[in-house]
Amino acid sequence: MNIRPDYRHAYPVLAMLIALVTVGLTVRYLLVPETFGEYGYYRAAAMDDEKAIQPRHVGRAACLECHDDIAAIHAKDVHSSVECETCHGIGDKHVKDSSSPMSPADTREDCLVCHRQMDSRPGSFPQVDLEKHYKFVGVKDPSIACVKCHSGHEPLYLSKDLHSARLHPLIQQCNSCHIGRTDETLKKPDMHPKIFQCDYCHADLAKSFAKGSHAKVSCTACHLFIKDNAFSGRIVRNTNPKFCLLCHQKSAFKETAGKDNAAPPVIDWPAHITDVSADTPDPKRPCVECHQDQIHALYTKEAHHAM
Amino acid sequence: MNFVFPNELHVTWTVMIVLYPYITGLVAGAFIVSSLYHVFGCEELKPISRFSLASAFVFLLFATMPLLMHLGHAERAFNIMLTPHFTSAMAGFGYIYSTYTILVALEIWFVMRSDLIRRTRDSGFLPWICKVIVLFNYRDTPETRNADHRIAKVLAGVGIPLACLLHGYVGFLFGSIKANPWWATPLMFVIFIFSAIVSGISVLIFHYFIVSKINRWKVDGPCVRSLAQYLWAFMIVAVALEGMELLSIIYEQTEATDVLSLLIRTKLFWSYVVLQFFICSLVPFFMLGITSLFKLSDRIAFKMIWVSSCLLLAQVLLMRWNVVIGGQLLSKSLRGFTSYMPGIWEKEGLITAGVILTLPFVILYVFHCIVSLFPDAEKESLPTHGV
Amino acid sequence: MPCNDISRRTVIKQIAVGATGTLLLSLFPRLSFGNGESSGKTKNAAGKRPLYAYAVDTSRCIGCCACMRGCRAENDVPKDRYRTWVERYRVLSNGEVQVDVAANDQFVFQDPPPADITKAFFVPKLCNHCEKSVCSQVCPIGASYETPEGVVLVDTKRCVGCGYCVQACPYGCRFIHPETHMASKCTLCYHRITRGLLPACVQSCPKGARMFGDLHDPLSHLSIFMKQRRYRVLKPEMGTKPKCYYVDLDIEVI
Repeated sequence: MNIRPDYRHAYPVLAMLIALVTVGLTVRYLLVPETFGEYGYYRAAAMDDEKAIQPRHVGRAACLECHDDIAAIHAKDVHSSVECETCHGIGDKHVKDSSSPMSPADTREDCLVCHRQMDSRPGSFPQVDLEKHYKFVGVKDPSIACVKCHSGHEPLYLSKDLHSARLHPLIQQCNSCHIGRTDETLKKPDMHPKIFQCDYCHADLAKSFAKGSHAKVSCTACHLFIKDNAFSGRIVRNTNPKFCLLCHQKSAFKETAGKDNAAPPVIDWPAHITDVSADTPDPKRPCVECHQDQIHALYTKEAHHAM
Repeated sequence: MNFVFPNELHVTWTVMIVLYPYITGLVAGAFIVSSLYHVFGCEELKPISRFSLASAFVFLLFATMPLLMHLGHAERAFNIMLTPHFTSAMAGFGYIYSTYTILVALEIWFVMRSDLIRRTRDSGFLPWICKVIVLFNYRDTPETRNADHRIAKVLAGVGIPLACLLHGYVGFLFGSIKANPWWATPLMFVIFIFSAIVSGISVLIFHYFIVSKINRWKVDGPCVRSLAQYLWAFMIVAVALEGMELLSIIYEQTEATDVLSLLIRTKLFWSYVVLQFFICSLVPFFMLGITSLFKLSDRIAFKMIWVSSCLLLAQVLLMRWNVVIGGQLLSKSLRGFTSYMPGIWEKEGLITAGVILTLPFVILYVFHCIVSLFPDAEKESLPTHGV
Repeated sequence: MPCNDISRRTVIKQIAVGATGTLLLSLFPRLSFGNGESSGKTKNAAGKRPLYAYAVDTSRCIGCCACMRGCRAENDVPKDRYRTWVERYRVLSNGEVQVDVAANDQFVFQDPPPADITKAFFVPKLCNHCEKSVCSQVCPIGASYETPEGVVLVDTKRCVGCGYCVQACPYGCRFIHPETHMASKCTLCYHRITRGLLPACVQSCPKGARMFGDLHDPLSHLSIFMKQRRYRVLKPEMGTKPKCYYVDLDIEVI
């Protein structure tokens, strides 16, 4: 057992190991990226790689350069918080080449991604249950696009002829009182003239209305008031026969009980229209053409303010 | 129920990452068996000491295969050596793995040098390879053998902590992922090491019996029985630790307990409860217990030991599957599970897995053709080829 | 061969000295860890390095998923992978909580089965750009990192695609890109914010439920918002210190 170990054959192995380690470490020293460790344990140039990516959303300012007319309308309405590209898609290509199309954002689904009724959406957010909405406004074609009536840029207006609805002078005239006057009375809401109650100006109409069968219906149920901005608004008279039928058809709403809490008289529609005008039945004919007197007397000259 | 974060529908760590800890476990276990003889002097394990060392080395060569198959950019794999980010448990892998591979290679070189030199005296291609391996130094004297023996012993000693490190780090890697309640336990590190030893001993028994059967060698009774006892002991510890992990999950009643118990009862019911625990743990526990405690005839005892080793090989593979895949089935939303089934032909599919698991045995056969792994057994019987 | 031995020893010694030198050099390869204060490239209005953060007002989210569409368009996010997403929560009267995402091509929530809802809301999610980001911690090669401005990014020229960061993120915000085979995630639109633009999701949000800003600028929209509102972060127990702050977060949100 007294054999002296002879390690000489192991020397080349050791030398190879040392060579391996040396070569390995040298290679490693050479291959570590240039900017590695500049800010931390990473390649600083990687941040430049990331920065070099070109943005694709161009932003509202870029759209405004050409479409300032639409932008001006859009900026006033509730959709002003919605960026152009949220509906129309990214604009990087369109900005470089205007023939490259943007999405027209005119399908029903384009609107419904935000406005479809969902139980998880905040209650304050306007949501549409298509079935109810179509029934309410009397839409027959269930594939109709929302933009046929509503403009995406100024959604609070109903589009087309409704645009030309008369401006209600009421709000327009706020400035005539509220600018340049310092009366203490202006600071007390109680002292404010009751101009927001329709009968404050339309006393004669209100009087005739109160005598009629619709006395319990509020004015704004039929006369939609649409606010333009802080200083003006429009009044739209809803003459769609379907609108009347919401109360007067068999499936009447509970809350619309008429005088003495009797249910509103039920009209058999569309049989009614054929009954009364068998020669030219026109289902679009406004009910008020015949029934105006039952609601209230028509406008009188005295009550008609100058615009 | 069943909401999964949308990016978690896709399982990132596939069956390749199941194989990786499995193979390193086989390495660590086989290496520890060889060290039991080389360092701790368990003489009864001598017949398989070389075989176990060679197995460890060959499995080690293939340990990176599943990783490279898995990596999105295998060509960048050396980044782990260039800029190891040591805040990451994975960063040490490159260095630990290469150090350990070199160490095992060196140990084999020193253990088998005499045989390699003897082999160089023949003519042919394989003897020429042996000449290259011994670096054209054919000095084989009692003095050099003494030196070889001493160096091998030191290397084997150093190798044990390295083996535990290499494999323990895999366990730590899973156990340290705090985002995943199925993984995040300090026990994971220990469980992985013990299950590694179980799988390593199992694969040696499994393979040794097959090799002996093919070559009509006489199975070394004391060696196998001793291995079986070690296997029994280590499997008890491994299974007990796994049971403790399960127990602590159930007992602690954390926010994740409900979803974890649902995971076990539904997604992992067959692979974890039925197969891993009841069939592949309890059955070998009783069988190895019987062979260890009672005097059975070799014929029956060997059969039971071999079946147990097969079951425990499956047990450890299932355990890797249940950890790696099971953890990913569970969404970090704690509200649901995704699904995973490896494809057959895809890059990280079952065919690849099968090839990776088979190749080490082929290489081991090549190894055996260069230097005999069972010199004693071959002396006793007529030399035949084949492992 | 005593003579030979000595010369060999000398050679070995020299090699050893050389190796030690290289080893020391290599362990610190051109590393001079700056504190980033002076070296950060971008500056805010106050002349300081910005610290970008994000806030989500869940009560404002209408679940339109414009953010998801905007993000996908801006960042080429692959199909079925998400840099940001919106979760819908529906708490039923029997206590059951239903959660889903609009994980389809159009990003439109499917009609849920009718149920007796107690409360329901949306929660947008995105990378939290954590101050102590686990994903950067566990990246074995330093390919995932936090910029001096506090944005967590992936180095797309070095990532090996091991997926460790995907596993480590407690929020499920990372994924392996199916085409580049690298880890990918929300960059807070780093290419936009460094040009002074808003992240695509913030710009796309029609209700202003998503907010982005510089915490080092006391007058930034976000700084003021955070002084006025009560907020919390997701999974604070993970110790990741997220920089994505949630206003009106329900207990059911994980």
